[in-house]
Amino acid sequence: MSFLRLGLWLLQRERASGEWRVLLLALIIGVGSVSTTGFLGDRMQRAMSDQGAGFLGADLLVTSPRPIESWPDAGLSTSKALEFASMVSRGDAFQLATLRAVDSAYPLRGTVRIADQPFAAGEARPAQPPPGRVYVDPGLLPLLDAEVGDSVQIGDAQFVIAGVVAEEPGQLGGVFGLAPRIFMRADEVERTRILLPGSRVTYLYQFAGESEPVAEFAAALKPRLERTQRLIGSKEGVETLRGAFANAERYIQLTALISLLLAVAAIAIAARRHALRHYDQAALLRCFGATTAQLRLLYGVQLLTLGLIGSAIGVVIGAFAQQVLAGMVLPSAAARLPELGAAPVFAAIASGLLGLAAAALPALLRLIRVSPLRVLRRDLPPLPLAAWISILLSGSTLLALTVWYAGDAKLVALFTGALLALALVLALLAQLALLLGRLVQRMAAGPLRFGLAQLLRHRLDSTLQLGSFTLALFLVALLALVRSDLIDGWQQQLPPDAPNFFLVNIAPHQEQPVADFLDKHNLKASALYPMVRGRVVERNGQPIESTLPEGERDSPTLRRELNLTWTASLPPNNNVLAGRWHGEQRVAAPVKGTPAGAPLLRSDPSAEISVESGMAERLGLALGDSLGFRIGDQTLSARISSIRSVKWDSMQPNFFVIFAPGQLDALPASSIASVFVPPDASAMMPQFVRAFPGVTVLALDKLIANIQAVFDQVIGAIQLLLGFLLAAGVAVVVATLLASLDARQQEAVLMRTLGAQRAYLAKGLWSEFLALGLLAGVLASACAEIAMALIGERLFELPVRLHPWLWLSLPLAGATLVGLSGWLTTRHITRVPPMQSIRALN
Amino acid sequence: MTSPDPLQFPAAVVAARGLSQRVATGEGTLDILTDVSLAVKAGETLAIVGASGSGKSTLLGLLAGLDHASGGEVWLLGERLNDLDEDARARLRAGRIGFVFQSFQLLPALTALENILLPLELSAAPDARERAAHWLEQVGLGARSGHYPRQLSGGEQQRVAIARAFATDPSVVFADEPTGNLDADTGSRIIDLLFALNASANTTLILVTHDDALASRCQRRLQLTAGRAQEALPA
Repeated sequence: MSFLRLGLWLLQRERASGEWRVLLLALIIGVGSVSTTGFLGDRMQRAMSDQGAGFLGADLLVTSPRPIESWPDAGLSTSKALEFASMVSRGDAFQLATLRAVDSAYPLRGTVRIADQPFAAGEARPAQPPPGRVYVDPGLLPLLDAEVGDSVQIGDAQFVIAGVVAEEPGQLGGVFGLAPRIFMRADEVERTRILLPGSRVTYLYQFAGESEPVAEFAAALKPRLERTQRLIGSKEGVETLRGAFANAERYIQLTALISLLLAVAAIAIAARRHALRHYDQAALLRCFGATTAQLRLLYGVQLLTLGLIGSAIGVVIGAFAQQVLAGMVLPSAAARLPELGAAPVFAAIASGLLGLAAAALPALLRLIRVSPLRVLRRDLPPLPLAAWISILLSGSTLLALTVWYAGDAKLVALFTGALLALALVLALLAQLALLLGRLVQRMAAGPLRFGLAQLLRHRLDSTLQLGSFTLALFLVALLALVRSDLIDGWQQQLPPDAPNFFLVNIAPHQEQPVADFLDKHNLKASALYPMVRGRVVERNGQPIESTLPEGERDSPTLRRELNLTWTASLPPNNNVLAGRWHGEQRVAAPVKGTPAGAPLLRSDPSAEISVESGMAERLGLALGDSLGFRIGDQTLSARISSIRSVKWDSMQPNFFVIFAPGQLDALPASSIASVFVPPDASAMMPQFVRAFPGVTVLALDKLIANIQAVFDQVIGAIQLLLGFLLAAGVAVVVATLLASLDARQQEAVLMRTLGAQRAYLAKGLWSEFLALGLLAGVLASACAEIAMALIGERLFELPVRLHPWLWLSLPLAGATLVGLSGWLTTRHITRVPPMQSIRALN
Repeated sequence: MTSPDPLQFPAAVVAARGLSQRVATGEGTLDILTDVSLAVKAGETLAIVGASGSGKSTLLGLLAGLDHASGGEVWLLGERLNDLDEDARARLRAGRIGFVFQSFQLLPALTALENILLPLELSAAPDARERAAHWLEQVGLGARSGHYPRQLSGGEQQRVAIARAFATDPSVVFADEPTGNLDADTGSRIIDLLFALNASANTTLILVTHDDALASRCQRRLQLTAGRAQEALPA
């Protein structure tokens, strides 16, 4: 029989004895949780990217002022639309509108809902209206004094309003200041005769398909684009989701990382026990004439077989679990998404095998070098150099895999470093805690005293066990904390009464009546912000483009007009990061030369403005810089006195630049406000529109529902990932307990032989495990709080706070988990007659 | 004491000259064996006797090639063990050397039959399963072939171990305190079995014991006292 077959034969024979079971179980749980995380994470990211695509209307959007004739080959579905501004009139009423002329494929992602009357839910329909018809923004109807079914004039052509747009992709992108939208057919643009050579048109090219070809297409396209052309991915589809995307992705990465580490820890512990129990076998085989190479082959085959079986079962469990879970939490995505990717399967199997190698090879290498003399003497060889090299090699491969898997080297480095430091601290803390245990033991009596004595007698083992339990509890607790803080954060971000309507273009004389109307109907509104539009043109007297590096000159912030406001009080959801808030500062500078007839513009270079931090970063702006704005045909300068962070996803009016009062007041400005209209009061809005025809009402409730759906999906998935982590944590606990089983059994036999009753032994074991679990819980609480304080703010932008409930629940959970697992693992040792145990131990 | 000469092989299947074993301890070095020389001819039986700690098991380990000696030379089956590394010594043992241990050393996951099968499989012996079954019959445990070690008594486990030692038709069987873990009655039956099988297979038997009754069954007796050897005539 070859050693290959002999290895498999022994493996198969030992299957019955349960020798391999622990190792296999740890591996299955490890790979199972890694693959579930991988699959679910992969799908979740795709699901979220899909949501993003829904907001964008496509997986990729290219905007260009000129038609683009040639594209890289990709086999993606495409749609082409034109966007241009034009006057729309009906009788005497006219209004500037943004026309989007679309083909039949538009939109490739997401849905367009068309309703028969403003603010109704509507039904999903193609955005392309039937010939001779248009769909209009609900805000346009009062402006034109029109209803659905009326005709409007666009250029030279007449169109019938066939419905109002209740929901459309891309609704959130730049909602402010946009003229109301009209959907028309692309093949009817010519009939309007609006577009002449030189007309300002934006060509919108949409692309959608599988993620890989889309990514390849984007990569091929990027270098071909001119500076006036823009490529937007689905993740950038909407500013609002960016925070949620980033956090969820980071969380998934962290969860994957921790699942893997816990699995490796469990495997390492189980492998060590396995090796310990096989030294005699290896020595015996050497006595019978087995060489090192033959033993290497024998145990290598066993390990590889085990690794493949465990990984395969783990992957199957992971695939099954994620399918069930995806169906539960991501029903829409689960049905639509492509089948499981090969990448997570490969990653899970590779991480299973590498994890097994990293964790089990050192013990295995020692096993195959065991001296045949062990059959006569019990001493063990020291860990050979090859074992250290193998730890280093497989450890770094595993780390590389983790980096690839988590996609963030810095995060992995930070986390691994922190874990190593933590292991040291834990060892010290565990020693300290055991010292304290000595005090308790002195005061205790009976089985409790015996249990604690057991702990203290095996100081090294107890430290290792306490360390493993603490690590498992800590990691699970940390992710639970991040999860609950993340969810809290999101819920605070989008409370049930988050504004769901924006009121734009409120004329100064309408401010009071609008406020009165909202008051009368008990509608909660944000402050009113006056708004003028202007473009950033200068920095410290130089054209702003010239102050930027070549690649940065194409910033959208420079290309478009910004909404500028002024206010004395810092808006909610804004935080001053640098400098000081300008407050009430008023400027009474002399009026700069203004062209006749133009409104007065008070310009004072020392006047103060506050700039949003992202914009400051993109344009390289610093406190004290002077920025020049072109507003209409005038230029005015102001000095940056503060830099703010802005929560863009707060559903409040947000601004890149806020002026101190007094500088822009003289300009004709309209105001903007956001308001929360409860579902039962939605009938109010048509009334509002009739009362204030000039005010544009943007409904965001569908958008909010979509964002809420994304959050719900992310939250659901996170709960499930946590469940798997918990399983990995339990695997570590069980592996650790099993590792100590032989020693415990020996002691129990001795105690029973010496007359200890079963109940006494059982209580002693319970005391030991409960004390271990309790201590581990307390240590893990402390570690989790510290870690949360360290990483929460940096990684997830979560504020530092204490979690008192943790200090109660974690020790309780620890005691329950370790107590129960301990009891289940060891209960038989108090039941088996001593003689039988002695024979088994021999 | 016979002067060892490897050229006499196969007459002397095991030989040692000036053998010494020294180990480092926390308080310096300790001489476990000093200048031991011996030669054992094919078919001979030798008992290594001595008090606990006299170096009996260490000598057995060195003669069987399980360990390296600090000084002196060892020959096993005509090969000078000093010239062989661990793996070469293992190859030399495969199928040609049998072992019986005080603690039986049966693999708990394998049945009685499979434990006997193991060295046969390792030496790629033909008809391994039949031979294992034959040897299990020889030790009177034919009916227990499917039993695991934990289901067997100490004496039965040692009988399985003896069957395993002889199953490969070895040239030499080394036995380390084969009755050390057994009661007197069982021990004496095990001794009978061991010598009966040894006689029928014409194997060289080298055993370590502090049991006089067992030592007296051997043709030769090597007394170890504080690591030094002195051969005595059988009582």
